[in-house]
Amino acid sequence: MKENYLFSPKLSQKFSCSVPLKGTLQQFVINGKVQGEDKPFSLYLPQEKEMEDILQLISVRTSEVFRPIYSKKSFSASKDKEEKLELNLSSEYFFDNNSSARILLCSHTFSLDRFVTNENVSITLKEGASAEFIVMQNEHNKATHNTVFNVNIAEKAKLKMVFISLHGGVISNTLNVNMNGELAECDLSGLYLTDSKQMMTTKIDLNHLKPKCKSNQLFKGILDDYGVAKFYGRIIVSPDAQKTEAFQANHNLLISNNAKAYTRPQLEIYADDVKCSHGATIGRLNDLELFYMRTRGIPLYEARLLQQMAFAYEVLENISNEELKSRMQSLVERRMRGEFANCRNCSKNCC
Amino acid sequence: MLIIKELHASIGDKEILKGINLIVKPGEVHAIMGPNGSGKSTLSAVLAGRDNYNVTSGEVLFEGENLFDFSPEERSWKGLFLGFQYPIEIPGVTNVNFIKTAVNEHRKNKGLSPLSAAEFLKLMRERMAFVEMDSSFSSRGVNVGFSGGEKKRNEIFQMAMLEPKLAILDETDSGLDVDALRIVANGVNRLKRPENSTIVITHYQRLLDYIIPDFVHILYNGKIIKSAGKELAMEVEKRGYDWLING
Repeated sequence: MKENYLFSPKLSQKFSCSVPLKGTLQQFVINGKVQGEDKPFSLYLPQEKEMEDILQLISVRTSEVFRPIYSKKSFSASKDKEEKLELNLSSEYFFDNNSSARILLCSHTFSLDRFVTNENVSITLKEGASAEFIVMQNEHNKATHNTVFNVNIAEKAKLKMVFISLHGGVISNTLNVNMNGELAECDLSGLYLTDSKQMMTTKIDLNHLKPKCKSNQLFKGILDDYGVAKFYGRIIVSPDAQKTEAFQANHNLLISNNAKAYTRPQLEIYADDVKCSHGATIGRLNDLELFYMRTRGIPLYEARLLQQMAFAYEVLENISNEELKSRMQSLVERRMRGEFANCRNCSKNCC
Repeated sequence: MLIIKELHASIGDKEILKGINLIVKPGEVHAIMGPNGSGKSTLSAVLAGRDNYNVTSGEVLFEGENLFDFSPEERSWKGLFLGFQYPIEIPGVTNVNFIKTAVNEHRKNKGLSPLSAAEFLKLMRERMAFVEMDSSFSSRGVNVGFSGGEKKRNEIFQMAMLEPKLAILDETDSGLDVDALRIVANGVNRLKRPENSTIVITHYQRLLDYIIPDFVHILYNGKIIKSAGKELAMEVEKRGYDWLING
């Protein structure tokens, strides 16, 4: 297991990732393989190991590697019917007893091909381990990215995950979380932004299997144009899991009349001494707040933007590293200003 | 500064303002008093440009221009300020970010470059002192978790930052204890310039002990039924509105 990942700037394509964050180790994963090695990424953190630096994994897909070879005949045919490039990825994170780490997962697609990525991420926290994942998803409109996170959390272990789904044709995040030991904690939050015809799906099964565990879910979305977001969240408290505290919230802000949000927050409780709640809202920008800002000379466009940033703030606030938080904030703001959406030729909208 | 001619306005089918006439000259302080439901807040909302009110007839000239030609933000840039009766809470937008955006939009409109961070902070500290606001307020969400008095102080602070030509203060005294009232009124008085005007909308005379009006108008049932000097406020305090309404 390599522990020191070095920033590898020699990437074949023009990659416009700005300077890495201070105290961040970078590792590129190209088409699912660790750069320079022919294997998928896996991290094993030994017992008691505390990783101080943030490990940033930049997962990029380039069509170069597996672009189908066209015969002259099929080349002309492919103009009408675009080739679909499908890729299956997997990665594994194992945090042994009392280890701790912070991971930043960035997902990008390089070329404008019609990518379909199916990804499987396994996250295991052993007793007393703690981990924070920031998942930044930023792909183009023709990309489909389905990710399944299988998460197992042991006694007294703590997991925090923040999803920032900035951009992407179809993004689907499925989380299967098992709270396998007493006093385990799991904090999941996410911000998704959709516009044009983008589709975002979040599916969560959060299984409380043992007593005294805590879980929290906060997912918020801002949907513009014809964007669609679906949220299926389920908290399952098994008969053994007394003293469970589990909360779930999904809030959607519709910016246009054509955007749609579907939300299904669900609770299944089989124990009798628990604290659980769930809630969901679908709303619009607040007219009175907008008016208040305008009377102070803030133009409507900026007022709307401020309000959206305010809505997003609660999720961004969960990013513990200040520098990373402010970078994510500015990315979200730029995204809301439509700076990415206007730039159709660029597929490298990364942080 | 401001000329209101035969202004009629309604919400839905209900007519609230039924022919308001008012002239405010530079440097003057006008008080508009009246019982609940007389149309005081509607008047301020219409002047600021709230969109669910329909102006059915009449006109308002602000420095010679038709006020209704402008959006709320344009009115602000031209120097109109409305102090809200119930200041709006905006969770997630910090006070500092809010007022900085507002100040820089005003500057942009005047063709000025945005203030540097240092210039802005200096100005903000100075103006916060006007209303004895603690600097910790700047990093909090706009009005979020503020007490009634803190919200009103925040209104006057915003006014101090934007330096309007005409400030309309809607029930700025409501929900204030004596100390907060004094602080708010002092803030308003410190901002007074010979060329700037103020319209104070209030229920009670007590604010007018601190902010001395040149004229007092009584609004009732959508019309100004009496105008006089500051002594009118005293009389209302003593005798109520009944003698004016029935008289």
